[in-house]
Amino acid sequence: MSAQKRLRIYFTGVGGQGSLTATALLARTALYAGVDVVAGEVHGMAQRGGVVESVLLLGGWRSPKLEYGEADIILGFEPLETLRGLPYLRKGGVVFSSSDAMPPVSVALGVESYPSMDEIRERVGAVASQSHFLPCRELGMKAGAVQAGNTVLLAALCASNLLPFGVDVFEKALQIFLPEKIKAANLKALEFGQDYIANA
Amino acid sequence: MSNPLLQGKGDECHLLLGNEAIVRGALEAGVHVVTCYPGTPSSEVPDTFRRLGGNGKQYTLQYSVNEKVAMEVACGASLAGAKALVTMKHVGLNVAADPLFTATYTGLPGGLVVLSADDPGFHSSQNEQDNRNYARAASLPCFEPSSAQEAKDMTKEAFRVARELEQPVLLRTTTRVNHMRGAVRFGDLPASRDDLVEFKRNPLRHVPVPAVAKVRHKVLEENMARAQEIAETSPFNVSHVPAAKPKLGVIASGISRSYVLDALEEKGWSDRVCVLELGMTWPLPERLIAGFMGDLERVLVVEENDPLLENGVRAIAQKKGLGVRIEGKGAILTIQGENSTPRLVQALAAFLGEPCEEAVIEPAANLPKRPPNLCAGCSHRAVFYAARKIFGDDAIYSSDIGCYTLGMLPPLKCADFLFCMGSSISAGSGFAMVAKKPVVGFIGDSTFFHSGMTGLANALFNEMDIIVVVLDNGTTAMTGHQPNPGMIQEQLGDVMRHLDIESIVRGIGVTQVRKVSSFNLRAVEKALEEFRDMSGVRVLIAEEPCALYARRSLGKGASRVAEVIAQGEETKKCVDSFACPAFCCQNGEYSVDKTLCTGCGVCLQVAPKSFRLVKRG
Ligand SMILES: Cc1ncc(C[n+]2csc(CCOP(=O)(O)OP(=O)(O)O)c2C)c(N)n1
Ligand code: SF4
Ligand code: SF4
Repeated sequence: MSAQKRLRIYFTGVGGQGSLTATALLARTALYAGVDVVAGEVHGMAQRGGVVESVLLLGGWRSPKLEYGEADIILGFEPLETLRGLPYLRKGGVVFSSSDAMPPVSVALGVESYPSMDEIRERVGAVASQSHFLPCRELGMKAGAVQAGNTVLLAALCASNLLPFGVDVFEKALQIFLPEKIKAANLKALEFGQDYIANA
Repeated sequence: MSNPLLQGKGDECHLLLGNEAIVRGALEAGVHVVTCYPGTPSSEVPDTFRRLGGNGKQYTLQYSVNEKVAMEVACGASLAGAKALVTMKHVGLNVAADPLFTATYTGLPGGLVVLSADDPGFHSSQNEQDNRNYARAASLPCFEPSSAQEAKDMTKEAFRVARELEQPVLLRTTTRVNHMRGAVRFGDLPASRDDLVEFKRNPLRHVPVPAVAKVRHKVLEENMARAQEIAETSPFNVSHVPAAKPKLGVIASGISRSYVLDALEEKGWSDRVCVLELGMTWPLPERLIAGFMGDLERVLVVEENDPLLENGVRAIAQKKGLGVRIEGKGAILTIQGENSTPRLVQALAAFLGEPCEEAVIEPAANLPKRPPNLCAGCSHRAVFYAARKIFGDDAIYSSDIGCYTLGMLPPLKCADFLFCMGSSISAGSGFAMVAKKPVVGFIGDSTFFHSGMTGLANALFNEMDIIVVVLDNGTTAMTGHQPNPGMIQEQLGDVMRHLDIESIVRGIGVTQVRKVSSFNLRAVEKALEEFRDMSGVRVLIAEEPCALYARRSLGKGASRVAEVIAQGEETKKCVDSFACPAFCCQNGEYSVDKTLCTGCGVCLQVAPKSFRLVKRG
């Protein structure tokens, strides 16, 4: 029997956003923190714009896979995908999501309509005990690179006291694992994510 | 730059993708030769070897043109004494089966490990065949890892066994294992790779004429008996017996072991069943399994897809006269799709007689979908549009495997049937033999080299009818842009050579050949129009690099973008019939998403009054 706190996180986003890179970064952080970790990804096809899902299981799980109702936390890199992934959340779980919509083709063409942010918040709120929607793109740009928006979301998660390690460990991991030229923007992004949770 | 896979010392611990762990395992084993044909979920193995840059130094890597060739090259290398690894996705092993079924007879002294990456659950495949069947059919010792650590360790062990027995060994993974990440504790890298096994000329072993093969079949049987002895005591076959020695047991293989153990722990049932984990799964360790079942009343066998382990366990019980009741596939543990922790909770609850209320969770209904789609600026779309314009529903479209299979989607609708790689030409010409309609076959460059050339030669040889469109985008796009002979020389470097598709087509003997730019709509249409009025084998080569590859690897940014200059009927028609994903429509107003547009200029040719290209600003 494992003594570690067991946690299951579901990541979802759109191809090209970097959600798999974010999953791997958090997994490396966990390993660095001495937490048992297994992550799972589904690499699909090369084309851009499809849904990309991944999972991270902390604290001694063996299976790299999640089913509906099993996730303690959802990390959504796009609000529509957060909503689509919501069935994975267990009742009372926690959601961290970007609030920046990336409309799929059918929406761009006006064939289908994108749910309003109010509707998304409401439907997420009906399942989650806590939910946070962050303007990741804007904060990422403010930090110096759009892609740093993913770090805003990860930092918010790390600062929330839900994980077996804190945002200080995540900061060290950024120092160790990121290439020099993107470090500054990501460290800035980390601050934004942390501040967001502090003021939430 | 140093990479831990290539330089990392023993006892270091790194987070690795399952496929990277296989690479590390092969390096620790001292692999000399790696061959492959890409295919999800196996591709990161060769792609990692390529990225590491050890090619020509620590090992020799090759992207072969198809799996049969990859297998034969690896068999040859292994016969010459090298430790060889050949990698492919599950369906690839069908292509490679012919040499494999006889290489097991000749035996391979250098040591050959065959990676078959299976795909239960259809994450990216046309079927979910279970390649453990090949272990049985061809007589291959088989390993099935369930974690990144095991992926490394079993790869290394597979090489040890392959060399010891001189028999090819199957490393059978599934998508979840290839694409999982986990901590991997390294072993040492070999001090020297100077350990080729010298080839001893011996046609009475290596040339399987019937008299030779007959003798070798016996040797194969003996070697498989030795393999069974290895399995009996393999550290990858372990049992967990709780102190109370319960009378119920579970036998599980591959990734299913993880779901079993997670389900037991989650429900607090760990001390209620004995568990036998099998990682080396062929030949079956019969004594180990019989010993495990000896005192048990009931056993549940857990595996994905076919009931192979289950049938084997039943046979062992029958042979040993054991009264144990064996359960396995059924309503909960189906032969379809993947197992999962909740599926195992359900199966174990039924097995233990525990209540299990199934939480029914509905997917969020009515959300706009994000289906995979050809990228904006994809060269395939332009050709499909032209084909539809010329032939409409009058032609039958014989498709093939690649990004272009997505041409099946409306409005392009350019795929009516498909079997496997290369079938566009051969099945297409077969269809045309019977149907009274023109058949247009679409085939990508990688697929053309894989198995299109033979079908083309056959169609010509037999005077068949078909219009073949080679969609030459200069890369193997679908699986992650691996090299193929159609790739331009600059990208192939000095270890691979570009082959010219047009010369090959003409060399085979096809005389009705046209070559156009995929983005030149008029030229594509004109060629197809001419072909429509001709008969026999006709080949159109439509060339233009994959948009994603051009941007990522060729460094071709879009200097221009399209914009809408007129609204109205003609614009709508273009949007509806060409359907570039860069098109937008808000409140009846059309526009182009500049972040997606590649400036390919095809929309301008479809509707010249509606679009224009402007400098990207
Ligand atoms: C026998 C077999 N091997 C490998 C694969 C995996 N696979 C699917 S598509 C593809 C390559 C497609 O490349 P290409 O024909 O150049 O088309 P593109 O994706 O570039 O449009 C491969 C290797 C497969 N489906 N079947
Ligand atoms: S990856 Fe390349 S070939 Fe595939 S859809 Fe995109 S542009 Fe087309
Ligand atoms: S130029 Fe036209 S067809 Fe080409 S990518 Fe841009 S919008 Fe699409």
